[in-house]
Amino acid sequence: MSTLISESRVSQIASVNGIKIFHIKSQKFKTNSINIFFHDDLSKERATKNALLPAVLKRGCEGYPTNRDISLRLEELYGAVFDCGVTKKGESQVIQFYLEYVADKYAKADENLTQKTFDLLLNIITKPIVENNAFKDEYVEQESKNLKEMIEGRINDKVQYAVDKCLEEMCKDEPFGIYDYGSVEELQKINAQNLYEHYKYFLETLPVYVFIYGDLDDKQIKYIIDGLSGIKRGSVKTIGKTGIESKVDDVKNITERMNVTQGKLCLGFRTNVSPDSEDYYKLMLYNSILGGGLHSKLFQNVREKAGLAYYVFSRLEKFKGLMVVSSGIEINNRDKAIEIIKKQLEDIKDGNISNYEYEASIKSIETGVKSLKDSQLHVVDFYLSQYIIGIDDAPNDIIEKVKQVTKKDVVDIAEKIKLDTLYFLTSLE
Amino acid sequence: MDIKTVEYKNVDEVMHVHEHKSGLKTFVIPKKGYSKKYATFATHYGSINNEFSLGEGEGVIRVPDGIAHFLEHKLFEQEDGSVMDKFSKLGSNPNAYTGFAQTVYLFSCTDRFKDNFELLLTFVQNPHITEESVEKEKQIIGQEIRMYNDNPNWRVFFNLLDAFYEKNPVKIDIAGSIESISKINKNVLYTCYNTFYHPSNMMVLVVGDVEPAEVFSQVEENIIAKDKRPEIKRIFPEDPAGIRKDYIEQKLAVSMPLFQMGFKDINFNSKGIECLKREIAVKILLDMVMGRSSELYNRLYNDGLINNTFGFDYSIEESYAYSAFGGESKEPFKVKERVVEEIGSIRNKGLDQNSYERIKRAMNGRFIRQLNSIERISHMFISVYFKDVNMFDYFNVYENMSFDYVKTVFDEYFNLDNLALSVINPV
Repeated sequence: MSTLISESRVSQIASVNGIKIFHIKSQKFKTNSINIFFHDDLSKERATKNALLPAVLKRGCEGYPTNRDISLRLEELYGAVFDCGVTKKGESQVIQFYLEYVADKYAKADENLTQKTFDLLLNIITKPIVENNAFKDEYVEQESKNLKEMIEGRINDKVQYAVDKCLEEMCKDEPFGIYDYGSVEELQKINAQNLYEHYKYFLETLPVYVFIYGDLDDKQIKYIIDGLSGIKRGSVKTIGKTGIESKVDDVKNITERMNVTQGKLCLGFRTNVSPDSEDYYKLMLYNSILGGGLHSKLFQNVREKAGLAYYVFSRLEKFKGLMVVSSGIEINNRDKAIEIIKKQLEDIKDGNISNYEYEASIKSIETGVKSLKDSQLHVVDFYLSQYIIGIDDAPNDIIEKVKQVTKKDVVDIAEKIKLDTLYFLTSLE
Repeated sequence: MDIKTVEYKNVDEVMHVHEHKSGLKTFVIPKKGYSKKYATFATHYGSINNEFSLGEGEGVIRVPDGIAHFLEHKLFEQEDGSVMDKFSKLGSNPNAYTGFAQTVYLFSCTDRFKDNFELLLTFVQNPHITEESVEKEKQIIGQEIRMYNDNPNWRVFFNLLDAFYEKNPVKIDIAGSIESISKINKNVLYTCYNTFYHPSNMMVLVVGDVEPAEVFSQVEENIIAKDKRPEIKRIFPEDPAGIRKDYIEQKLAVSMPLFQMGFKDINFNSKGIECLKREIAVKILLDMVMGRSSELYNRLYNDGLINNTFGFDYSIEESYAYSAFGGESKEPFKVKERVVEEIGSIRNKGLDQNSYERIKRAMNGRFIRQLNSIERISHMFISVYFKDVNMFDYFNVYENMSFDYVKTVFDEYFNLDNLALSVINPV
């Protein structure tokens, strides 16, 4: 049942009731971790409920009825770290529960941390505090307020806000336009009863991925698998694929005003490349050449040569086939910056890619991919993403495929990329 | 070649040390099985060193605010182009950061460590600064300053420092201001470089799956033995004992108020094991008073006065020490009230020994977790190095920490006269 898997290739070791379980065995870390992911379609009706749910579950469970009790327990378990949250991957939502604890050799002989931490994790997820067939009102009200403040607090990080807003505006008539944590409007419709109803749906029907990472023995693995097998499940749903096709007519021009001293410029593009296509590797290289680091055209031209920015980069939103270029600039330099950015895009289309840009980009991707295995969270996120996309390329495969991409391939891919939205966050007039 | 090896068996780590004749020490912490190799070359020079003199009888030099950071940017410029291009050709990721007390140059790579390491050692020792490039950098750093000015988390923290200190340079923005950097020129940059970038004032650390002997050989080959060792006298202005103001407010485009409050510390050892002892004792106390398992945190959270952005920290450096805690809150004054109440209440009933033991064990566990990350090891090692301590000494400190000592620190640390509050309110 349990198979030894190295970090270079991961496969499933068990599957029970739509819960897929993976074990990545490693002795190089000082901690073990258990990651449990629930996977749902991104929908207006459920996005906010899915965001609120982990926050409410975290407030207490059987054996540890308050968040203080849970914190005390984590401290007792040698400072174990627990967290939960929500992200979107394309037009799906991933709800994560994560627990990390020191390996057995750093605790007293019979502590059995794996069993104790897993028990806590399982209780938090499957045995919440329930009153009258609903969650505790107090917990739901409190966490709703926190979630509302968090959603409203997005403006505090202007750099991230500008990127998110650009993409949300671009996709406002598509599910991708929904923020990872949903909306205040939907939040107001949620109460302790309907959230609990949703919880049952969540626990019984959503596909689940579990990654166990570290130096655990077969007995400990079996304990976890047995625990997961005990979760009551119904008919598990299939999550839809994210649509990436689109037709861009005129470029959308959006200006938002806020009390800022620096302008935040974002350009949103449709790449028309699906993450499971062979073209994706060409897109990866394109993105690196354009704005994937110090070697990139954007960095060299917008920052180093023109001195217009401290930060400028391009990033792929791969699940939805999008790309965003982002930069913080002097407000008066908006047009100048756009001109230089567009020139870089034109240059690539014209085949103006130096050997240095091409080779440095390949090396940069190679280093990035090789570095994944130094972090448990990065490795887990990598394999989860591959599963969601539906491909089984391991990190080494990716490096090989990117190395096969030619300059001409990059020029060809450039033809598919269309500017969709131009967003500028600027000062109040 | 003289190599010293120290084993830290309780955490399965080893450290190798070699001293170059110039006074530069190099450390290697091997991490078998890791892909990345992370090398740092750091100098004991940061934003707080804006006033210094060079030995007996020499005059006092006051340099523009933000110059250490400016110099950090400029070192990447070389005669034959930017050194960043050379790193990119090797597929590695170079970076640098300037802190209050140190400037660090680094790269992270998965291949060609030898070439990358040689490049790091060479470029940091070979400045090539021109007036033209200085002017252009003023634009770029100007944008960096503006980016930080829009960042409420950065501002709320620096405003707290402004509340604590009158003249202490820690309150000056690390990048300076648009005005202060306009005064920077090639000459003053070279003055700072020649003063602080002598190998005796620097250190090298490599973390990753590398061969220590090879790393030390490369250091031997590449470090330029400059003969004269500058006698740096670091000057810190006298600050009055108490805090400057107990409240500072600024308005920025935020959705709800942010706050940071803290206690300015005046009774601390800024070097050696005593420094680590105090740091750990204060951190244990902060965790006991307002950590995730504390009554205070949970009451504030359940009453909606704080949320999970709430955090706390304590810093000691050679000219200052303070704690800072805060996050988002609609009512920062109420939070302050409750903190003060809680400290009073603990003074009356005393600290709980079981909590102390439990929190100490948790902190130790969390510290072990940090050792998973090559970046965190490097960052932590350097942050204590110039205080004449070694990061692994933290384990001894945890082991030998006593409840009595923590109780003594509690009695004098939480002096309400030294408590200040900084708030960022929505516009």
